[in-house]
Formats: sequence, structure tokens, C-alpha cells
Amino acid sequence: MLYRLKKELSRSVKGAVMVSALGLAGIYAMPASAATISLLETGSTLLYPLFNLWVPVYTKMNPGVQITTQGTGSGTGIAEAISGVAQIGASDAYMSDAQIKMHQNILNIPLAISIQMINYNLPGLNNKHLKLSGPVLAGIYSGKITNWDDAAIAKLNPGVKLPNHKIVPIHRTDGSGDTFIFTTYLSDTTPAWSKSVGYSTTVSWPAVPGGIGAEGNPGMVQALKTTPYGVAYIGISWKKPVEEAKLGLAMLENRAGNFVLPTVENAKAAAGEMVSKTPADERISLVFAPGAKSYPIINYEYAIVSKTQAKPEVAAAMKKFLNWAIDPKGGNAPHFITAVNFVPLPDSAAELSRKQIAEIH
Amino acid sequence: MKIPVFRTALVATASFLPISLLLLIIFLAVYSWPAIQYNQFHFLWTNDWNLGNLYGNPVSVNGHQIMPGAKYGIWFLVVGTIASSVLAMLIAMPIAIGAAYFLSEGIRKTWSGPLSLFVDLLAAIPSVVYGLWGYALLVPLFGHTIFPFLAKTFSFIPFLNGEAGSGYGLLTSAFVLAVMIIPLISATLRESIQMTEPALKEAGLSLGLNRLEVFWHIVLPKLRTVLIGVGILALGRALGETMAVLMVSGNALNYLPNNIYAPISTMAAFIASQLDSALQDPTNMAVEALSEIALVLLLITVVVNIAARMMLWMAKVR
Repeated sequence: MLYRLKKELSRSVKGAVMVSALGLAGIYAMPASAATISLLETGSTLLYPLFNLWVPVYTKMNPGVQITTQGTGSGTGIAEAISGVAQIGASDAYMSDAQIKMHQNILNIPLAISIQMINYNLPGLNNKHLKLSGPVLAGIYSGKITNWDDAAIAKLNPGVKLPNHKIVPIHRTDGSGDTFIFTTYLSDTTPAWSKSVGYSTTVSWPAVPGGIGAEGNPGMVQALKTTPYGVAYIGISWKKPVEEAKLGLAMLENRAGNFVLPTVENAKAAAGEMVSKTPADERISLVFAPGAKSYPIINYEYAIVSKTQAKPEVAAAMKKFLNWAIDPKGGNAPHFITAVNFVPLPDSAAELSRKQIAEIH
Repeated sequence: MKIPVFRTALVATASFLPISLLLLIIFLAVYSWPAIQYNQFHFLWTNDWNLGNLYGNPVSVNGHQIMPGAKYGIWFLVVGTIASSVLAMLIAMPIAIGAAYFLSEGIRKTWSGPLSLFVDLLAAIPSVVYGLWGYALLVPLFGHTIFPFLAKTFSFIPFLNGEAGSGYGLLTSAFVLAVMIIPLISATLRESIQMTEPALKEAGLSLGLNRLEVFWHIVLPKLRTVLIGVGILALGRALGETMAVLMVSGNALNYLPNNIYAPISTMAAFIASQLDSALQDPTNMAVEALSEIALVLLLITVVVNIAARMMLWMAKVR
């Protein structure tokens, strides 16, 4: 009896010691955790995979910062950065002049460069790189070119036996930076498209019977996979699932009239042409760049942030993180960027981004 | 003076629901007022949804700030919403009634218990799960096998013939919706069938009716009011379903389906998919137009419910 009591007692003492030790540790940890700054990143689903690679590595090096990431779409990213709900809004599209006029304290800071693929599902031809041009794609998406063996497509692909089958154009239904850059390419190459539809994160797609709207990049891949004779535009960070589904990848006509594949090399060539034209606020389309090798559909991936932050500590933490993100030894290091098939930010663009980051206070 | 605490509390809790419905309608009406004024009535009748050039500069039309080229017409959404829900009800009703009758009368009590639990569980599955199932399994299956077969077999019936499409569309949406609402209908019906007085059924049997005739002539007429009530609940769920429809409907924009396999879009799904872009409209007209869609959807559900009440009332009077 006594023995048992003793045992109980010692157990409870042990427990008490442990509890108080934990408590002490908690008290010790408290000042540190109170100083932890939490940042919220929300927006583009194309940038989301990259942020997911960045955040664990960065927060391990900087234990005082906690970063939450959310893939909610570029529009939400911009809206929440403006309203102050999120500190960093991620967007594939830059803000319009009208939006900037209304919110002059908002910065558009490029973090990396993304590429867009044009993919198709043509049974028997998916291992071939079909040649497509802006006017042909505009014709397909406006319902003027309805069959794969249309003369306009056949002219670009001599010797290829194109099927006599209806084309199913697939587009994004959610607001999307991918739609923005795709329709920019169509507008830049085809005056008729520019006049009737134009470019935006959502456009009023001409009614093409049978045409499909899909949600997000994963939805585009799935829709194309299940739709033979379909065509779709898909962000480069989804290259792996596209290859696994054995879908076709198109060569696109660039400004020089050459047909090029969406390789990192061709994207770098295009970026090289456009970087010198980038203005100080960095809001510029990189689509349809000049140059013999330039791939025509690339874009800056933006962090949308407010210049004025409520607390100086938050501003300092944001500056540090964003500067790390664009650093070729930090977030723009090859092992991060190539994992999502992006192109690292060119030096002079990084310089402009650093200047913009310095404005945060 | 003595305050009737219990009474006051009851009044407060009881009035919470009607007041919140009223407030919701008022809020939506006030919030979307600029859009209602700008769109007028052709909002409902035209197939022309266009957020305008979001990268242009706002222009003033009839005193409203909008983006250049912005137009809002939702006829294709009204058609898509009602067509998919009604088609879902047509598919679901016979199956749900059959399942309910089977579970309550067709099998032994020892089996009906666990099986009923199974059906009730189906009713509790989140809609996104059904959506994912439709997206990953039904769309390829329907698009490659079933729709081409149906289109060929029924090539003489309008709306069932023509192009079989890709699997995303009206019939797929209706089917997913039907699977979602079948357990909802059948769970309620089952209990009502069990509550039908056994004496009535026995009387029918003793008159020489077989089990189908007993069901058709005695049980089903008794269920009329329940059937209407639960049908309306199910229709309400189908009308407002967002996620599952978004994943399988094909999200048609600005055109009507030319047959039962063609892509459609519904109001609820459209609001969800367009909000992100609408937020980029600096004039806010796009968001206001979306809330006008929400108002229309809300009014449609209210009208459907009132119609159901009237049917119930008429069924009781007769």
C-alpha cells in the first residue's frame, strides 16, 4: 500500500516537474514567439508551387518570420494586397492603369518569369510538334477555324496528315493570368481579335459550340486529356502532368516569323529582348518579343504589395523576404526555378525590383 | 412591469430566420443597384456576358462608370441552371422513390436498417466529392462511351441526337446533381412509407391487389404532400449547387446548349468562377453584376418555394 502510494507520488512529482519544465520552456519561448512576424501570401496558382518551395527554406533560415501561402487566383491576390488582408498578393498579370490610378501606393514587383505552353490532343500526332500561329489560334478560339484540316493549319504544317475533325477550344473560366497572356498574344498578332475580344484575365470568349471552360491549370490539363481534338493553353509549371498525359506541344510563331518551342532557352532569348524595355514600375507585357529565337508567350510573375505597411517590423520582414526571393543565390537559385520550369529574373529586372522593394516602409 | 423573458426570447429566435432572409435580399438589391440600373431588363434575356476591357480606362455610360465594352446578359445561365436542375429531378425522382420503397417494404427489416444508414450517409457527402467523382470518372466515361452511344441510338429524338461532345455538359451535370439529391429524397420518403398505416396496405392486399398495385394506388397517393415537399428541398439544392457543377458542366459562355450533351453553365457556378476576375474591375460594376446574378438566383429559389407551398396547400385541400 505504502509502496504504491510512494510510486504514485513519485510519478506525479515527475509529472509536475515535467509540466513546469514545459511551462518554463514556454515562458522562455514566449518573447521569441511574440516577435514572430507573420506574413500572408495569396493569389496566383501558377506562383503557388514556387512559394511552396521557398517558404519552408526561408523560414528555416529566418525563424522570426512565419509565412502562410494560399493559391487563390491572381484577382484575389491583387484585391487582398490592396485591402491589406494579405501582405503579398501573387499575380501573373500586372495591374491596369485604372487600378494603379486608384491605388497609387501599390507596387508590382516581378519575382520570376513564366512561360505558357499551347497543348493539343490529336490522336496519333501528339508526338509531333505542330506549328501554330497567333492568327490561327485566334481563328480557332473565335470559331472561324473549326476543323483540324483547315487550310490555314495545313499551310503551317506541310506534310502532316491532319485529321478531318472538329477542334474543341478549351479556355479558363476563372480569372487567370494565363488567359491574360494568351489573349495578349492573340491581340498582338491578330488585329481582328484585338478589336472584337481584346486581352484580360477574363475575356468574353466568342461562342464556339462545343468549346469548354475549365477551372485552373489542373482543370485545363484534365479537360484536354479527356477531350480528343482539343487545344488548350497551360502554364509551364504544369509541364510534368502534360507530358505524363502524352499531350502534344505546339511550336509557336514569333515576331520574327520563326516557329519555336517553349524551352527555357527560347524564353530567356525573349526576356533578353524585353528586359531593357521594362519601365521603372515594371508593368509591361513580355508577350510577342522580337528576336529570332524568342518564344512569344512569357510573362513576369508579380508580387503585389503595398508601399505603406502598418508596422516597420512587417515592412522590414517583407523587404528582406522579397530581396531574398529575387536573389540568384536565394529564391531565384536554379534549384528553385527549374523545379517549376520558370526562368530566373534577369539581372537588370532584378535591379528594378530591388529599387521597388526599397520603397516599402 | 414584468418582462415576459421566455416569450421575448422565443419571438427573437423565431424572427431571426425571416429577418435574415429579408436582410439578405435587401443587401443584394442595394449592393447590385448600380448594375440593375445599368443592365435593365435585358440582363435576363441576352446572351452577352462581357467584363469589358479591364486594362482600358473606365468610361461613363448613362451616368455609370464601366469598363469599355462591358455588357452583362445571363440568359444562358438561367437556361443552364433550370435545365440541369429539372433534368436532375427527372432522373432522381423515379430512382429515389424506388429505392425508398425497396428499403421500407421490399426487404427484411434486418437488412433495411444498415442499408438505410448507407443511404443516409450518401446524403451527407460534401458536394465537392461528387464533383471530383464526376470529373475524374464520369466525364471521360460519358464522353467516350455513353454519349456517343446515346446520340446514335436516339438519333431521331431532338435534343438527344447530334454531337456527343466531350463529356462535359448538361447531362453530366444533371446526372451528378441527381446522384446528390437521390439520397436526400429517398431518406425522407422511406420514413413516410413506413408511417403509412399498415391497415390500409393490408386492406389492399386482401382485396387481391399485388404489391405494385398497393404501392401505386394506396401508398403513393398518401405520399403526395411529402413528395412535393422533399422534391422542392432537392430542387433547391440542385439549383444552388456550385462546386460539383463547376467541375463537370463545361462552363459554356454566352451560348445555349443545342442538345443534352452540350456544355452549360449555371448561376451559382458562374459566380464562383468569375469573382476572381470581377475583383479586377476598378469600377466594381462586374462584382455588382455578379451580385445581381445572386439576387436572381435567390429570387428563383424563393419563387420555387412559394410554388411548392401552393402545391402542398392544393394537395391538402383536395
